[in-house]
Parts: sequence; C-alpha cells; structure tokens
Amino acid sequence: MPSAAILATCLVDVFYPEVGVATVRLLRRHGVRVAVPDGQTCCGLPLFNSGYHGEAARVARRVLGLFADTEHVIVPSGSCAWMVKAEYPNLFRDDPASAAAARALSARTYELSQFLAQVIQPGAIRPVQPPDVAGSQRVAYHDSCHLLRGLDEAEAPRRLLRHAGVELVELPGADECCGFGGSFSLRLPDVSGAILRRKIENIRASGASTVTACDAGCLMQIAGGLRRAGDRVRVSHLAELLAERLDDGRR
Amino acid sequence: MGGADASSLNTRAQGALGDRLLQEALTTATTQFMSARRTALAEFPQSDRYREEARRIKEATLQRLDHYLGLLADNVERAGGVVHWARDAAEAREIILALARERGVRLVVKSKSMATEEIQLNEALAAAGIEAVETDLGEYIIQLAHERPSHIIAPAIHKTKGQVAELFSAETNAPVPAEPEALTRVARRELREKFLRADMGISGVNFAIAETGTLVLVTNEGNGRLVTTLPRVHVALMGIDKVIPSPTDLMVFLQVLPRAATGQKLSVYTNLVRGPRRPGEADGPDELHLVVLDNGRTAQLAGPLREALYCLRCGACLNVCPVYRQIGGHAYGHTYPGPIGILLTAMLEGTGAVRELAHASSLCGACHEVCPVKIDIPRMLIALRVALDRERLAPASERLAFRALARILESPRAFRILGRLGRALGRALGAWPSPIQRWTAHRELPAVARRSFTERWAELRREEEEA
Amino acid sequence: MRREEFLDRIRAEAAHAQGLVPATPATRPAEAGAEAAAVRERSRRETESLLARFRTEAERVGVSVRRAAGIAEAGEIVLELAAAREVRRVATWGRRALGLGSAVAARLRQAGIEVAEASPDEIAEGDRTALCRRLAEADLGLTGADLAIAETGTLVLASGAGRGRGVSLLPPYHVALFGRDQLVASLAEAGVVLEGWEAARPPGMGANVVFVTGPSRTADIELTLTRGVHGPREVHAVFVDSL
Repeated sequence: MPSAAILATCLVDVFYPEVGVATVRLLRRHGVRVAVPDGQTCCGLPLFNSGYHGEAARVARRVLGLFADTEHVIVPSGSCAWMVKAEYPNLFRDDPASAAAARALSARTYELSQFLAQVIQPGAIRPVQPPDVAGSQRVAYHDSCHLLRGLDEAEAPRRLLRHAGVELVELPGADECCGFGGSFSLRLPDVSGAILRRKIENIRASGASTVTACDAGCLMQIAGGLRRAGDRVRVSHLAELLAERLDDGRR
Repeated sequence: MGGADASSLNTRAQGALGDRLLQEALTTATTQFMSARRTALAEFPQSDRYREEARRIKEATLQRLDHYLGLLADNVERAGGVVHWARDAAEAREIILALARERGVRLVVKSKSMATEEIQLNEALAAAGIEAVETDLGEYIIQLAHERPSHIIAPAIHKTKGQVAELFSAETNAPVPAEPEALTRVARRELREKFLRADMGISGVNFAIAETGTLVLVTNEGNGRLVTTLPRVHVALMGIDKVIPSPTDLMVFLQVLPRAATGQKLSVYTNLVRGPRRPGEADGPDELHLVVLDNGRTAQLAGPLREALYCLRCGACLNVCPVYRQIGGHAYGHTYPGPIGILLTAMLEGTGAVRELAHASSLCGACHEVCPVKIDIPRMLIALRVALDRERLAPASERLAFRALARILESPRAFRILGRLGRALGRALGAWPSPIQRWTAHRELPAVARRSFTERWAELRREEEEA
Repeated sequence: MRREEFLDRIRAEAAHAQGLVPATPATRPAEAGAEAAAVRERSRRETESLLARFRTEAERVGVSVRRAAGIAEAGEIVLELAAAREVRRVATWGRRALGLGSAVAARLRQAGIEVAEASPDEIAEGDRTALCRRLAEADLGLTGADLAIAETGTLVLASGAGRGRGVSLLPPYHVALFGRDQLVASLAEAGVVLEGWEAARPPGMGANVVFVTGPSRTADIELTLTRGVHGPREVHAVFVDSL
C-alpha cells in the first residue's frame, strides 16, 4: 500500500482546510496511506519570490526535516509543489548536504493532480453521481501559472475532471494569469484587480457554473473577485470537486 | 526621458488603467499579436528546435564577443564602412552629432531603432538644430504627438485613427479623414519628400554579421530601405549584443524573430547592407558609419542578467504579459517596457532604477514561454529582487516585514497564533490602512477558517485509526 | 573610445563569467561555392514543385504570381498589368541586368509607355540625383530577381551595376521577372547561396541584398493593415519558363 505525506500549504491550512480534507479523502479512496507531518507552516515561496532567499532557505530546511522519511509528498498546490521540486535544490547551493536532501525530496514530491494521474490508475476511480448536484455541473478549469509552465501540466487536471464526469467547458484565456502572484496582488493591487477582472469576464463568457484550479492562491483571488462582483459562480479546488464526485457516502 | 518619471509606478499604472482608449487599444493590439503568433506557430512544429538553436548561437556569440565584434569591424571596414566605438549614451550621441556637423547635415531621416531611443538621440539632434524625422509610421505618429513609444513593435498602439487624423491634419494644414488608407497615403507623401531631401539616414540594426560585415534590418514598411538607400550618409547604431557570427546563423534567427514579433514567416523586407554603395551602383549611401554601443551591456557578461543580452527586441513578451496588457508601455517609465524592459532598464540604469519595476510582475512565466530565444525572465526578475534586498534598495519597512514573516514561518506556534489572531480580528483588520486594504480594494477577503487544516487532521487521523 | 580598449573591456568582463554552457554557432557550409551550386542543381530539377510552393506562399503574403512560357508572353502580361493600373512611366534595371527581360521593357515602350533605365549598367556620377527623382515619379518598377524562395514566397534582389535598389522600392508597383534558375526551396538554401556569394563575390555585385516578402505594409494605425506605406503597394512576380 503506497503511503503519502501531505504538504498542506499555508493557504490551505489557514483559509481552505476543506481542500486538505478533500485531499486526504481522495488519497485514502485510492488506497494510499496518508500522513500529515506535524508542525507545518509554509513552503517558503512568498519569501523566495520577493527575493529573501536566505530566509526562504531556512523555512525550506524545516520542510526538508518534516518530510525526510516519506515515500511520496503530495501538495494540493501547483505553486508550492513547484517551489519544492524546482527551487529547493537551488536554495542550498552553499550547503551540499541540504542540497542533496532537497534533490531527494524533489524527486518524491508531486502536485496532487499529477500524482493522481501518474501514480494512481485512473480506472480505479469509480465516479458516483453526487446526490445534491442538480443537473450537470459546467466546470471551467483555470490553469495556474506554476502548474502549467513550471511543472508543465495542462492535461492531468482536465483528464481527472472528465473522468469524474463533470462537463468541462472551454475557458477563454485559461492559461492567462489570474493576477494573484502572491505579494504582487498587494504591491500593485490595481493592476492585479484589472487582470482579475479580465479573468472574471472570461469565466462569465464560458458559461460555467463552477470554476476550479489546482492552486488555492488563484482560487482566493478569483473567488474574491467573483464575490465582489456579486457573481454566484462556485469556486472550488480540484480536490474538492473530485472528492465530492467520488463520494461513496463517507463524510 | 531616460530616467524614471518622478511619480510612483502604482500611480502611473492607475493612470493607465483609467485611460479607456488606452485600455481598448492595448486589449485589441495584444490580442491580435498573440493570435497571429499562435497561428504562425501552429504551422511551425519545428519552432522549439529553432528557438534552442537561436539561443545557442546567442550564447556562443557572447562567449567570444570581443572576437566577433573585432571580426565585424574588420569586415565592415573592408567593405568601405567606418566603425566607431561608444562606451555609453553620451559618447554615442557625440559621435553621431560630430558626423552630422562635419557634413553640414540639416535633415535626418530615421528608421525604427530602440537603441537611438535609449541614448536619447532625437533630443540631442534637435538641440543641435538638426531636424530628425521618424519615418516608421508608428514612430512618426508619436513624434508628431511628442510622446514616447508604448510598445517595441507597434509604438503608436495607444493612438486611435481619430487622434492620428488630428495630428496629420495639423501637420499638413489640411483636413485628413480618420481612415487608415487615407492616413497612410498622407504619411507616404509627407515622408517621401523627407527621404529625398535628407542628408543623413540613421537606423538601428537587428543583426550584424561578423563574418561578412553585413548589417541586417528587419522591417515591414520600406522606410528601413529608404533610410539606408537615399541619403548620402548612413549611420547605423547597434548594441554590442546584436552581433552574430555568419549568414547561416542569420537564417536561424529569421525563422524565429518574425513569427514571435508579428506572426509573419518573414517580415516584408529583410535588408542586408554591406558597406556604402559600390562603384557603379546608381543608389546607396556614399558613406556608412557603424556606431557600436556598450552603455552597460558589457557589465552584464558575468552577471545574473547575462541572458537578457540574447534579446531580439521582438516584443512577444509584451503581448502576453498580464501587466503590460493592462498598463501599456508608458507606465513603465523607461525606454524599454514590458518584461524584458525591466531587465534592460536594470542593465542600462542600474538596480536602483527597478526598485518598483522588479515587482511589476506576477511571475506567471508567459514571457519565458513565448520568447524566441527562451530567456528566463522570471528567474532574472527574482534575482533583481534579491539584489534589491542585498543592496538595501528595497524599502526598510518591507525588508523588516519579510524578515518578520520569515520568523513566523519558522515557528509552527507563531504561525498558529497568527492564524487565530486573523480569525479573531476578522474584517476589523480591513479598517486600518494595511496590506489588507489593498486586497479589499478589489476583492472580498477570504474567511480564516474556524478550524485550521492542522486541527481537522487530528480528527481525520483518528477516523482512520478507528476505521 | 578606441577599439582596443573597448574590446579589452569585454574580454576582461567575460573572463569572470561562470557556469557557462558550451555552445557553438550554426555550422557554415564547408565549401560554400560548391554547396550553393548543388542547391541550384537540385532546384533546377524540381522547378514545378518549387514554383507551385512559391506561388502558394507568395500569394499568402499578397504577391501576385503569373507564369509566361516565353519573354513575349511575359511582355503581354506586364503590359496588361500596367494598362490596368494606368501606368504612364516605368523605371527599369539596366539592360544587361535585365537580360532577356529587357524585351519586356521594349514591349511597354512600344505600347506608348515612357520607360527609362533608372539604373543604367554604366552610370555617371552626376546622373545620380536626377535618376533618383525620375524613379520617384515612376509608377512601376521592373526588375529581375536573384532568388525566389519557395518556403516563404520571397524574392531576393542583390544590388549592383544596373541593379538599382530604388527600382523595387520607390514606384508603387513592382514587377519582378524570374526563371527556374532563381528558385530555391527554403531559407536555409538561400543561406547557402548567400554564403556562396560571400566566398566568391559575383562581379558587379553591390552593397545591398534585400529579401522582399510581399508589398510594403503597416498595421500601426489601430492594427488595420494598409499597403504601400513607403515601399510598393503591389508586387508582381512573373515566372518566365524560358529565362
């Protein structure tokens, strides 16, 4: 039985714990023994992106320790997964031991949709029509930048969604940034807001009733904008959509 | 205007966001460019291979830059041209002004050159009493409007045909209809006179072939050809990063540059100029002067911005950048806008010049994805942010805030407390001027969950143990 | 700054660069002249397919392509083009430069159109300005071509004695005559030919080579495409089988 440790991510821990819960359920449903190492905070990406690499390295070193003895590390966030996989090894250029540990961790780390698509047999998923979802759910998928370009992944989330029986609608400009960019959303809030408005126009144009993505940061930005615009489109992480569609009654 | 506008980036951005005409122009133009590029690439499956090769050629050239520049100079001289070496903008201006003065030049025609913008040549020529006319239609328009280009490839993207008609009517003292065909005919007529009368033509250089001493100009309108054919003196200004080894290398770049810039297989005119006219030629300049410009480029060869020297000035990164698409070129406040513009500004004006610009990016990576030479712009933007901290150019309050954040992130206990604090204060936080207000100006705040995932896990774990 | 100091600074700075990936430029042809000749040989055996491809690509970029079995037919085609556009004055390359194509110029003259060699094969210094003005007043420019690249629909014109640049640039209509010897398949092959010209410069070759891919165009005003802003607004490529 494969085992996995979940790197929850700071946004999920504080704002979207239901994403973490859905991730746990999803993985268990696929026969994975799940653990969540105690004492997690953040992967360090906000520090890294703003240029505070010494600080990011210290935070990363804690993560290396927390996940040292795990078979797989699953991250329900494209940007955090990218941070661990792509950037952790570079953070420890002056510390060969940590660099080696980072490379090893990188090789065992997966963004959630990539793990589900690669490691788990998709055929093992048995879609069940969720009882309280009226009619078909038209879902638009937003490609988060780090998952799309950093981890080169556009297919796995879409394949998983289709397999789970949602009606996937084309989102114009799906590959265009939502304007979050972490601290960018606070440094240039008006520009971030304008980029967000473009994304929301596209969501409306798609006719979707639900918008989803693999990154809580994007979803926080998108949900914030939709609610401000008085829009009722549902905003849901991929993990939640998959978990509810595969629900066999356990809560 | 080489240095920055005194106002902050955010203020300039706000101005741009509030300019409805600019917003429409930017959306239309960048969408069209993006679409043209995509169409061109759909028919070009070998794109990636050529991009890799183009990148490799740029790297190989940089590794022996002094050799190739020397070879270029030798071959330009062998073909009858004169080579001048300019360490910086001031020296380049002096060289060109001297050439003009010595020859009694009164009228100059110019074809598109970002390098001449970089050294602020037009202002210097005007101060010396020399009329310098921009002949690229977009540049001509903004020259009449006394503005700066807002896009590397389409400098007048922000002007409507109505605005252009007004400019042309004023210039010609006759009413001109606000209709692109008519406007184009007016420009052709007006500028044709200038071409025929000009004493000197000044151009940029897209590529300078070292092995043959050939200068290559990639254009669509034909003004590049006229500028380098009709006046008796041709002055070409090039950054040191424009040199490439051979004609065979040129063919590689021609596969990637036009597609990235405008979605064309080739631009209408790819013009190869090798020295002044030969005996027996009916037209062509009597003299050709190549001004080779450093202006901060050499200093990058061993630095983190080295890769920015690969830039072909195609403008593709501008068209896909979510920030550029919203604020346009002027708001960047420097000669070169867009993602690559931030790097070029740091290169040419120092890290301090990009204190704000280094953060004018959500690091989405679209620029890296479309770059014909695969420049990793996001990586270098982060390197600039590192430098801003290290050199203490970032605001002290920010540096303190991030260090404080780092402490919190290193301590699960502190992290938990911060979370509970956030929940307790809730919306009240939004009342004080704070980063929170910057969020809520455009978006609803997410709610801090009643129970964190860490707390929910405690239950979920028990659940499994019981199951 | 002096050249040596300029280049020394670069050498000194480059010496500090670290972690460089090995890289080499593109491989130039080992025997450019021979390879260029081989390209031409190959192309001559594939005229029909190359011409078909050239036509498709040229039409895509707004070049009209016509075919004439011989120079007489070419003359009629160009006369028809000129008449339809009410052309009064034609400027041409020099007679030697046009070669058999000068019979087309003769046909136009015969039909009453004013035809002048805008760049005579031999030129006196004093004539240059006058020639320039004459060119600026011409309605149509008639040239040959040195290459026709099928991949992109491009005509390559090298300048030189009798091959003035302005003829394909100043008048609003440009007509270029070419034959089987000019067709090449691709940009890469054109590159080989350029390298060949480098290795052994054709006599009389000038300082300019231009790749013309369609009529002059701009989209600088509201991204609306207009033609003929500074260069010709129409380009006509006439393939002559017998050339």
